[in-house]
Amino acid sequence: MPIQTLDISPVGRVEGDLDIRVEIEDGYVTNAWTQAELFRGFEVILRGKDPQAGLIVTPRICGICGASHLSCASWALDTAWETTVPRNAILARNLGQIVESLQSIPRYFYGLYAIDLTNKKYQNSSFYEEACRRFAPFTGTSYEMGVTISGKPVEIYALLGGQWPHSSYMVPGGVMCAPTLTDVTRAWSILEYFRTNWIEPVWLGCSMERYEQIKTYDDFMAWLDESPNHANSDLGFYWRMGLDIGLDKYGAGVGKYITWGYLPHEDKYQKPTIEGRNAALIMKSGVYDSFTDTHTLMDHNFARENTMHSWYDEGSENVHPFDRTTKPSYNNSKDFDNAYSWATAVSHTNYGRLEAGPLARQIVAGGKHGESWQHYDGFILSMFKAMGGASVHLRQLGRMHELVKLYRQAEHCLREFKLNDPWYIKPKEKDGRGWGATEAARGALCHWVELEGGKIKNYQVVAPTTWNVGPRDSEGIRGPIEEALIGIPIHDSQDPVEVGHVARSFDSCLVCTVHAHDANTGEELARFRTA
Amino acid sequence: MANVLWLQGGACSGNTMSFLNAEEPTVCDLISDFGINILWHPSLGMELGANLQKLLRDCISGQITLDILVFEGTVINAPNGTGEWNRFADRPMKDWLNDLSKAANFVVAVGDCATWGGIPAMSPNPSQSQGLQFLKRKEGGFLGKDFRSKAGFPVINIPGCPAHPDWITQILVAIATGRINDITLDELHRPETFFKTFTQTGCTRNMHFAYKASTTEFGQRKGCLFYDLGCRGPMTHSSCNRILWNRVSSKTRAGMPCLGCTEPEFPFYNLQPGTVFKTQTLLGVPKQLPPGINAKDYALLTVVAKDTAPKWTEEDIFTV
Repeated sequence: MPIQTLDISPVGRVEGDLDIRVEIEDGYVTNAWTQAELFRGFEVILRGKDPQAGLIVTPRICGICGASHLSCASWALDTAWETTVPRNAILARNLGQIVESLQSIPRYFYGLYAIDLTNKKYQNSSFYEEACRRFAPFTGTSYEMGVTISGKPVEIYALLGGQWPHSSYMVPGGVMCAPTLTDVTRAWSILEYFRTNWIEPVWLGCSMERYEQIKTYDDFMAWLDESPNHANSDLGFYWRMGLDIGLDKYGAGVGKYITWGYLPHEDKYQKPTIEGRNAALIMKSGVYDSFTDTHTLMDHNFARENTMHSWYDEGSENVHPFDRTTKPSYNNSKDFDNAYSWATAVSHTNYGRLEAGPLARQIVAGGKHGESWQHYDGFILSMFKAMGGASVHLRQLGRMHELVKLYRQAEHCLREFKLNDPWYIKPKEKDGRGWGATEAARGALCHWVELEGGKIKNYQVVAPTTWNVGPRDSEGIRGPIEEALIGIPIHDSQDPVEVGHVARSFDSCLVCTVHAHDANTGEELARFRTA
Repeated sequence: MANVLWLQGGACSGNTMSFLNAEEPTVCDLISDFGINILWHPSLGMELGANLQKLLRDCISGQITLDILVFEGTVINAPNGTGEWNRFADRPMKDWLNDLSKAANFVVAVGDCATWGGIPAMSPNPSQSQGLQFLKRKEGGFLGKDFRSKAGFPVINIPGCPAHPDWITQILVAIATGRINDITLDELHRPETFFKTFTQTGCTRNMHFAYKASTTEFGQRKGCLFYDLGCRGPMTHSSCNRILWNRVSSKTRAGMPCLGCTEPEFPFYNLQPGTVFKTQTLLGVPKQLPPGINAKDYALLTVVAKDTAPKWTEEDIFTV
């Protein structure tokens, strides 16, 4: 069998257009390259600007997770300026982050992921007809409900910040808003609407309280069997169909996971410092190494970037982001032996390449590390172990599992606001270094800022997509998505939908077209969308 | 039935996300009730197995009628005018755009990046970004000053960072239902129906503006954001306080100064040190006054307004 090369263009826009090249032998992918295909140069733009420029500019890096960028940008300045952030402001920032993620969950699942279940490849599955009824683009019953209702949670963001996307209501020292009874009451009501119209009747087929009793793989199986309402809810239906079509069989990736942790506790981070962050978070940070079954805390000092296979003229050494200089190469022609991406290869000094995202967060949530009061949830780790590791299917469950717990965190914020207490304490501007992190819907995000002479000297961002779609590093080691593509079966080289499932399971958010060339004849075989 | 093709250049998807928040009509309603047929959109999905490049070529050749080309994001020309820093389907996006704009009956630029260049085109503009028919306030942009789509229109600009979903859906519906000739465009090709009024029109802080009562710090429950916190509401054309965001609020209502994002100069002052969230003043007077007011009259107005300001303007008013 000749090697077939498929070029997939484009995939996912979180930091720009993403292309993927895979090689197929005997029906299986044997090699893969991910290429980020858009450079706008935000780090270059920010040099020399006002220290607060990041609050305006960085949300525009990504309109899908602008609240996450804004969170990072403001916490980075808080640590650099040594501000005091009032309790209300911590809650108001967390709430903004949470509702953006709540928006993202149905929008991503129905709008970008589940429509693939209507691919003709699955027409022999007994689930196919029902999948088309529910998930067909624009007309599917769940699609229309899910995509439309996804706009509701961010109405809460607008109550706090005026609009979503792209408010800059979080600022060093707190937030700009001072919500009233009206805002809080409406926010509760919006959450309730989201729960009673979609989460419970459509997604779960049960109450959130019943779902919260699921702690292990066995619990989940028992839940599925307990009632037709569970089995036929979108969650139950998706899970059963995914097993039927084999989504649990591929897309494992690198087997090591990272989260910065997020949602600083309102009583524990009012004097934000870089060093004090880990111990102040509700959702703990961490790295999980499945090969040794160990959890450790994550720290920004472990992060390194490598640009050997990226279009930057910055050498081949691993550097800490504070030491990055961001020199884009003028020649960005694709050379798969050398540079082929605008993404950098991000790694951990001890653990190497790591996967970021909701699956990573939920696997880390099952660790006993960190503070005793921090959030613990062993469910997804239990699934991971019972199913023999990660897959496209489990990655999806990891994401959807966050729905209920984020809902609870949103309730917590609304309950804890003390409306007549301060929302902002004016800080003093100063020079220095700052670091802010959070978890965007798609995973680990952080900003490094260095201020000198009253302006930005260096601004560096490492986004979840940077971890996931990075190219090979200086040792030739593949990035997480590149690795997840290895070994996947290609049922039909005319329409290799499996590549799409893998790319999408990491939440690449764009459609893409694949054209396969027979390596010997150059004959074009197929094109299709993967994200 | 109107065929819509939506492409993204140097974009963040913010306008797409904004568009997906649309209500009355929702995005699904547009398709089911208003005869909009989305040929392709980077994240809205379409029939599987579709051949995007063939579809693009069929649009260019006229085999598929391209009623509306929507563009989101800047046109990236780097490096050295080649556009290689933004490749799409193995070709610089600007080359696709060049071909498709000739085939489209209407071209709609959605968001600041596509209209004027937006944040990527800020100095030093590393990606050599342009808007479709403007770069900042200068007419021309990528397609040139004289560009007219097949229906005889210049690029219809729907600015904002992002654009409001209603602005987008209503223009698409106007084209699809044959109402677009009722619409007047201003000198920046913006539909006047959204951009004739000011962001300040309908702002809940207007009384404080009138009496020169200032919000001096964030998180206060009183005052106008214009005098100290750099709000551009009085100088910015938009309907943000008439057609609310996410159906509930606006930046200025929530206590955030308007950044002027529907105007070509956004982000103003190039975000130079000292210009962010701070009103730029000269001898205590704002450097930029509401349009049509001269400095002498403004000074007079200030004295009178401060003298007549009732006591309540200094008290918390947006209370719990």
